[in-house]
Amino acid sequence: MIWLTWRQMRAQTLWTAGLLAATAAYLLYLATDIRESYRLNVTDCTNACDDAAFILSNAYGTPLQLIGLLLLACPALIGAFWGAPLITRELETGTHRLVWSQSVTRKRWLAVKLVIVGGVSVAFTGALSLLLSWAAAPFDALVDSRFEPLTFAARDLTPFGYALLAFALGLTVGVLVRKTLVAMAVTLVAFLAFQVVIAAFVRPHFAEPVTETIAWVDANTIGNIDTFGIGPDGAGIQGFTIPGAWVLSDYIPVDKPDGTEVTEADIEACGTLKPDECIAAMDATFDVTYQPADRYWQFQWIELGIATGLSALLIGIAFWKIPRGLN
Amino acid sequence: MNTPVLTTNALTKRYGRHTALDDATLDIPAGRIVGLVGPNGAGKSTLLALAAGLIRPSSGSIEVLGRTPAADAKQLARVGFVAQDTPVYAGLTVGDHLKLGEKLNPGWDPKIADARIRQVGLDLSKKAGRLSGGQKAQLALTLAAAKRPELLIFDEPVAALDPLARRAFLQNLMEFVADIDVSVILSSHLISDVERVCDHLIILAESHVQVAGDIDDLTTSHYRLIGPRGGLDDLPTGTDIISAEHTDRQTTLIVHAAGGSAPAGAEPIGLEDMVLTYLHRAEGIGAPTLQETRR
Repeated sequence: MIWLTWRQMRAQTLWTAGLLAATAAYLLYLATDIRESYRLNVTDCTNACDDAAFILSNAYGTPLQLIGLLLLACPALIGAFWGAPLITRELETGTHRLVWSQSVTRKRWLAVKLVIVGGVSVAFTGALSLLLSWAAAPFDALVDSRFEPLTFAARDLTPFGYALLAFALGLTVGVLVRKTLVAMAVTLVAFLAFQVVIAAFVRPHFAEPVTETIAWVDANTIGNIDTFGIGPDGAGIQGFTIPGAWVLSDYIPVDKPDGTEVTEADIEACGTLKPDECIAAMDATFDVTYQPADRYWQFQWIELGIATGLSALLIGIAFWKIPRGLN
Repeated sequence: MNTPVLTTNALTKRYGRHTALDDATLDIPAGRIVGLVGPNGAGKSTLLALAAGLIRPSSGSIEVLGRTPAADAKQLARVGFVAQDTPVYAGLTVGDHLKLGEKLNPGWDPKIADARIRQVGLDLSKKAGRLSGGQKAQLALTLAAAKRPELLIFDEPVAALDPLARRAFLQNLMEFVADIDVSVILSSHLISDVERVCDHLIILAESHVQVAGDIDDLTTSHYRLIGPRGGLDDLPTGTDIISAEHTDRQTTLIVHAAGGSAPAGAEPIGLEDMVLTYLHRAEGIGAPTLQETRR
């Protein structure tokens, strides 16, 4: 059974391994480059050292993001091209009636397929993830935005879970719909939907976020105000960044000590003072809701757990269904 | 060899609202070559897939060689199944298929496999997708045979073959069956094929088993009776009328005499006539064609 599974997946595995090797070679080159740049701009830095993050971000942000996207696409493609056809192709060519008539039960057939093909899927994706995480390590340390959705999902443990889930999804959808093209399409759409939903709606709630009241004067020591605006509706911060943390607040109103919002009129009353000094003089504060940086690994494990749990459920359905007959 | 190869009790398989096989009760003794005949869509493939354990019954029960089909690896090893259109892996070579058989069947007999492949002249390095229909059928038969099953099931093994290849395949099958001790169930819609190779018959039509029995018993217990109209009303007890045709002056009956004693004036009918009579009767269920033939 192991021999047959390998014989059937040999071609696709080898060319995928080829692509993986090419990506790995590029990542090795990129990793050396990033380390060299890090040494020049951080370790051996003599002047304008605060620009290091900006320089590295400019130089390596795009290639790392592109490989990150590739890593995000990897599970979806594996689910659609390896998981879904695993059973549907047998059904469409009728060969399931050949292979399931040998002295191997369907459950065992499925188990071997699942362990080997699924295992290779997870191993390939995981290897790419670890390699990317390693290559990007100096960059990530400097830029410090590991909760960024595209970064979080393309580093460390998360891709392992995604690969397993996408494969299990393809397999089980294949068992249920029995048509290769339909199963591939459903798998792609469902997995994409899962990625969007978990990043946008589920991941922010993995743990109770922290809400902190920050004094205006401390704003730029604790974090970084991306943009600040004053209008007829009052004063507000649009985007606040705390290094390494995941700020969930989007628009943040700035409050006076009495709890009311700073208004346009308040700022005009300051007269000649700059708006920044004016707000500081009011002892204004604002509330930021965020997930602290030290929760990164906790979140990685939770996401891996969710993906593994869902995979187990899907695999359970396939194992329940397959002995009952698919003709 | 005393365990019956196939026993079913009120076996029924439904797909949604369509009933593919209805209330089939069968008891097939071991050591037979069973022909399963009936028109397309009669439920032959369904019955065989149930026997191979590829699908499960909707209701009723089925046992193959005394056990639930495909219950475990051991039971799978006892039954060789060649599905309709003899599926093979197009991307694998003939040699790969033999290796597949060897790896997946503990009872694999390489001698049988090699001998058969040599006999039918298959090239081991040829991709199975490039084989002709007859060669594919031979490869599928080899795979099923070399696992040394106690029962071989063939679903329309020759339907896709030209007459010459069909004859060669059946000839080959017969030799093989004679060599190893194996029961066979094969389906076909060609009565002549069944007549050539089988010694037991199941007629399936309209999802129902019409009749089942050893072919010798069946042919010696079915008769054609021709007599003056109204002159055939008093038949011996135990005689069933399968069909009746009337003209103004005479009546033709096809009857089944269970006791074995033929009524006076009865003439034997061939297997083909008998099968056709049952198939016509099956089609007439709900639409009494027998009445319409009255002139």
